[in-house]
Amino acid sequence: MEVNGYRCPDEGDAETEEKETAGGKQQRPSKESASRTKAADCAENAVAAAAGGGTSRDRLASNSRTRQRIDSLKKNRPPFPWFGMDIGGTLVKLVYFEPKDITAEEEQEEVENLKSIRKYLMSNVAYGSTGIRDVHLELKDLTLCGRKGNLHFIRFPTQDMSAFIQMGQDKHFSSLHTTLCATGGGAYKFEPDFRKMADLQLLKLDELDCLIKGVLYIDSVKFNGHSECYYFENPTDPVQCQKKPYNLENPYPLLLVNIGSGVSILAVYSKDNYKRVTGTSLGGGTFLGLCCLLTGCSTFEEALEMATCGESTTVDKLVRDIYGGDYERFGLPGWAVASSFGNMMCKEKRESVCKEDLARATLVTITNNIGSITRMCALNENIDRVVFVGNFLRINTLSMKLLAYAMDYWSKGQLKALFLEHEGYFGSVGALLELLNPT
Amino acid sequence: MDKAKSIVEQNGADAWYAFNSPRISNGTTNAYSAAGKHFHYLHQDLHNHGSPANKCRLRRRMDSGKKNRPPFPWFGMDIGGTLVKLVYFEPKDVTAEEEQEEVENLKSIRKYLTSNTAYGKTGIRDVHLELKNLTMCGRKGNLHFIRFPTQAMHRFIQMGREKNFSSLHTTLCATGGGAYKFEEDFRAMADLELHKLDELDCLIQGLLYVDSVGFNGRPECYFFEDPSDPQNCVKRTCCLDNPFPMLLVNIGSGVSILAVYSKDNYKRVTGTSLGGGTFLGLCCLLTGCETFEEALEMAAKGDSTNVDKLVKDIYGGDYGRFGLQGSAVASSFGHMMSKEKLDTISKEDLARATLVSITNNIGSIARMCAVNEKIERVVFVGNFLRINMVSTKLLAYAMDFWSKGQLKALFQEHEGYFGAVGALLELLKMTDDF
Repeated sequence: MEVNGYRCPDEGDAETEEKETAGGKQQRPSKESASRTKAADCAENAVAAAAGGGTSRDRLASNSRTRQRIDSLKKNRPPFPWFGMDIGGTLVKLVYFEPKDITAEEEQEEVENLKSIRKYLMSNVAYGSTGIRDVHLELKDLTLCGRKGNLHFIRFPTQDMSAFIQMGQDKHFSSLHTTLCATGGGAYKFEPDFRKMADLQLLKLDELDCLIKGVLYIDSVKFNGHSECYYFENPTDPVQCQKKPYNLENPYPLLLVNIGSGVSILAVYSKDNYKRVTGTSLGGGTFLGLCCLLTGCSTFEEALEMATCGESTTVDKLVRDIYGGDYERFGLPGWAVASSFGNMMCKEKRESVCKEDLARATLVTITNNIGSITRMCALNENIDRVVFVGNFLRINTLSMKLLAYAMDYWSKGQLKALFLEHEGYFGSVGALLELLNPT
Repeated sequence: MDKAKSIVEQNGADAWYAFNSPRISNGTTNAYSAAGKHFHYLHQDLHNHGSPANKCRLRRRMDSGKKNRPPFPWFGMDIGGTLVKLVYFEPKDVTAEEEQEEVENLKSIRKYLTSNTAYGKTGIRDVHLELKNLTMCGRKGNLHFIRFPTQAMHRFIQMGREKNFSSLHTTLCATGGGAYKFEEDFRAMADLELHKLDELDCLIQGLLYVDSVGFNGRPECYFFEDPSDPQNCVKRTCCLDNPFPMLLVNIGSGVSILAVYSKDNYKRVTGTSLGGGTFLGLCCLLTGCETFEEALEMAAKGDSTNVDKLVKDIYGGDYGRFGLQGSAVASSFGHMMSKEKLDTISKEDLARATLVSITNNIGSIARMCAVNEKIERVVFVGNFLRINMVSTKLLAYAMDFWSKGQLKALFQEHEGYFGAVGALLELLKMTDDF
């Protein structure tokens, strides 16, 4: 793999010429046949131009092949646009590669709807009422499959999937790209909807395969020159706590904890060898769901805001509430939580807590439970590095620091908690990589 | 009686020597013959004479005739985060002579406990758990199981003071966090010295003991056959012969998981703070209920799938690659971020979802521990499982299903009382002459 980019299968590699395309089982044209005469190319340009959008299926397939030969010039690349999609339980994560090395010729030939998609995505940071482009996560000057450009990170609630598919239909997306690489449960759940509503074929990919590929890739290309991976030094000291970069060069073995709506914990031994150790259903979705019930909030952002201001020790029963101090025999300090929400069985205490305390207790409970289960897995798998990803950690420094502290404290310094800047986007990056380099 | 009283009064601080001197022996076999207040002097001296074991030995000589036994009453106490568990041994072989000599307050305690099944507003005697015709330390009797909320502890201590409990028994064997937390209160309010014992030590000893004596002729231990088949799922008894190694999961306010290798060798593998207290606390918040019984009643009627996001809600079916069925919960309470869904669920659904979430989390953690410790038998105890068939069956199912039949979930009839039994056993052990 290049340091600052991703190679396509046949870049300087003859053996990969016969690899299947991302979209179907047709053979890609070989290098030799790709370098055709100019006349032949012009003829096909005319065909492509005339084809426009909204033609019959076979015309579409042949147009795709045609366009392939036109737009990717000498290399074998899938036609633009290049998307990777991860349809999760709560959020859809979309990565979009915006080419910045478009020649005048290419721009001229660019089909109208492709151009409009590019402009729509790039000139906005919000889409509809719930779509967001995380501009601060944009990866600039990336080389992917021999093309230079920027990688954009977009998310919207899975609840708005129908509106998204509708938009795909409105923009005649199917005329551009009959295959879309998608991962996450929704790739399976919404497959028929994509087909029926927008004539789009999803290439379904496993979410954990994509997660790992995505993590390894982003870490290798770095985050605009900075480290993608980091950890916290002195996590519980508000003054001394520092975010520090971490080099994931020799990543294996690694415990990867993906905290989305639910949680999956993977032991990764090499780039092609991993196993799903376990999971827990008490994840980000639980935090948000419980907060909505207990505090009346309606978004993740509101829930976090409340949690930041609250005090969980009024809600939780601590070891010292039961022992009057530490439970020394088994190394349980008085401040450790013995029973989450344990004070809430008492009417007076219920009446004295505020919403912020409840939000905080929910956050702490979910986070500590994940930390505890993770620690057990790390111990059993004999792995001392744990990487936490997933959108539960988005703008959630509280949970990150709690995890960092818990891993360190309960393992007596043996375990290290690591985090990644692109949190919940790795699955979609992995899906994009599969588009460019089908395995 | 008067003779003994006057001896003590004459000798003051040296009174205890008087009692021990063979010359002073007045033929009484029961130290309780002396009036209550004399034990205050005794108490002070006992305080100066070291370990509870030593003090016990002193008292012993005053007491029980030919055997070495602690004086009655025999209690074991487990002061937990939510409940206090008390076991009381009621002797049924009290001779006429013994009864005559029995001190008034001892008699009144015995009568109060055995003629009631409820005490104050919140104390309950679990009559169905009574162990009849037990022989403990050479005495025959019944073992009673009593519980009350830890919140009522001060009231309990007050009662001990009013009944002059300290005149009978200056040491009380107690375990659980409260043995430490309330030690001072016992001393200050009722002049009672707690002999503190570790809760996990007591748990194991208590469990092994009750299992060995059985439950009035039946086994104490049980499991479910065909836990994966809700229609044919049957409760079956079993014996814990050759119990080791076993994974012991104690679900109280919080959870402790122990790997037990032999009766004296165990380790606390891990724990989780998402326990019975979490279930009750969350239920109270989400449904407005106030007691464990109410919470369970609601949970029995609810449907958690309206509240939880299942694998099929995300995948449209199973997540076959990793063996996750569509019906498995992907995200507990995961539907509750949606306003529309919030409007359609009931309190019963919320109670059920809370129960299922807590139970499944415990099951999952227990399973991981069992796999890592390479132990196939998992015994679940603790009062979270009291009258809680939903969780009991769920745990049985989860252990069986996720381990593909490798793990077996076992349960005990006396659920949350083992710590208290262990404390009682420790009291009786303290009398051994070394």
